[in-house]
Amino acid sequence: MVEEKKKSKNIVKDVSFRVVKATLKAILVYLIYFLLAPMLAPLFGLIPGIMESIEAFVAVYIVLMILGDLTERTVFQYFFSTARALFFVAYLLLSMGNGVISTTYENFSLTVNLTLFYTIAVTLSLLGVASSILQAINFMSERAEATSGLQPPQKA
Amino acid sequence: MNVPIRALGIATSIFWILLIAFIALSAYSFKDLNFDLGEPQFTTAPDGQLLFSLPLYIDNRGYCSLKEFNLSTVFSDAEGAEISRANTFVPVIPRGENVTILHNVTLSMDSVLGNAGQYLFNDNNLTASVTAGLTVAELLPAQISTNFTFPWGAPFYNFALGQPSFEQFNITHSSVSVPMSFENHAAFDLAGNIRVELFDSVGSLLGESQTSFYVPQHSSYDGTLEFHVPLSAASFSAAHNGHFNVYFSTPLFEYGPLVIPYG
Repeated sequence: MVEEKKKSKNIVKDVSFRVVKATLKAILVYLIYFLLAPMLAPLFGLIPGIMESIEAFVAVYIVLMILGDLTERTVFQYFFSTARALFFVAYLLLSMGNGVISTTYENFSLTVNLTLFYTIAVTLSLLGVASSILQAINFMSERAEATSGLQPPQKA
Repeated sequence: MNVPIRALGIATSIFWILLIAFIALSAYSFKDLNFDLGEPQFTTAPDGQLLFSLPLYIDNRGYCSLKEFNLSTVFSDAEGAEISRANTFVPVIPRGENVTILHNVTLSMDSVLGNAGQYLFNDNNLTASVTAGLTVAELLPAQISTNFTFPWGAPFYNFALGQPSFEQFNITHSSVSVPMSFENHAAFDLAGNIRVELFDSVGSLLGESQTSFYVPQHSSYDGTLEFHVPLSAASFSAAHNGHFNVYFSTPLFEYGPLVIPYG
């Protein structure tokens, strides 16, 4: 009885810790966005609709991050981590197209070729996806080992 | 397996930080880049070419060098036909340096006057398409382009020959005075020679006169051409109407005949 009470107390403590951690991380990410957005606004102001699109991106990213933190130490944490990395890749693909950004201001037309940046960003995001999948596999294998009572072979 | 996964995560994070820092640095390099245009200058060359020089001052106060700076200008007439094209290429603009670039565009008067001399007698607008491209920090190519109209001032704007006035010179000849005027709206001084042939109503050449002129830019010319024409009683009546053939000769171009009726 006492042990069960202690266990439920631990769960509450654990969940509240996760909630606090997720909240703090979300606030931190939003704060970074909040501070950076006014600095980048003149630059992004040249491209119509980009600020709204970035706002939507930050919102979805924070939601996936919170879900990942709340489901910490479960396999779902890695699902959300993979989803976050895939969402980033999808956002880059949809927002940047072929990596060439063209915008018109009054009589001027500005074209910036971000193909290289875009390629590196997508590659790093795919590395993030790979890392999340590997973490999920590792988590499942460790759990399987723990439930079956098998231990990794000891080195001689 | 934990160690390689962690190493992969750390490596990815480091690359992300480097990438974001690089992008931020490049963006701020753009911010600290100053472009300034100098006063454009027109000079004439004796081979019928007009040289348009545009000084461009670039102050690169950014963190990165600029490479492959390429400025391209295309002049076209009101109908869109290309008149002239010029390129200026600067391989490197190092960071922290102030560079002056002289962009030269050669306008061939033959191509400007190709359209029935309308640019000789009427002010017009030329269209200039300007494209400037450069590579920031060796990795980010950017290009800016614009179109603007460029006023073309006619060197013989409002060219006119007045009514010929006949005066008895002697028994066989008459003196004919013809007032001539025009305004030099061009961006260059104009010097040369104008030759005028006087024809009567039946197309017979009565006389010829020529005059030299020097008209500074944005000033007007007023003068009188003098003809000495043989005048019989029959040709006197025929000479009260007819036409002039006008030939223009300058170091930049030759043009004629311009047919102007009188009477």
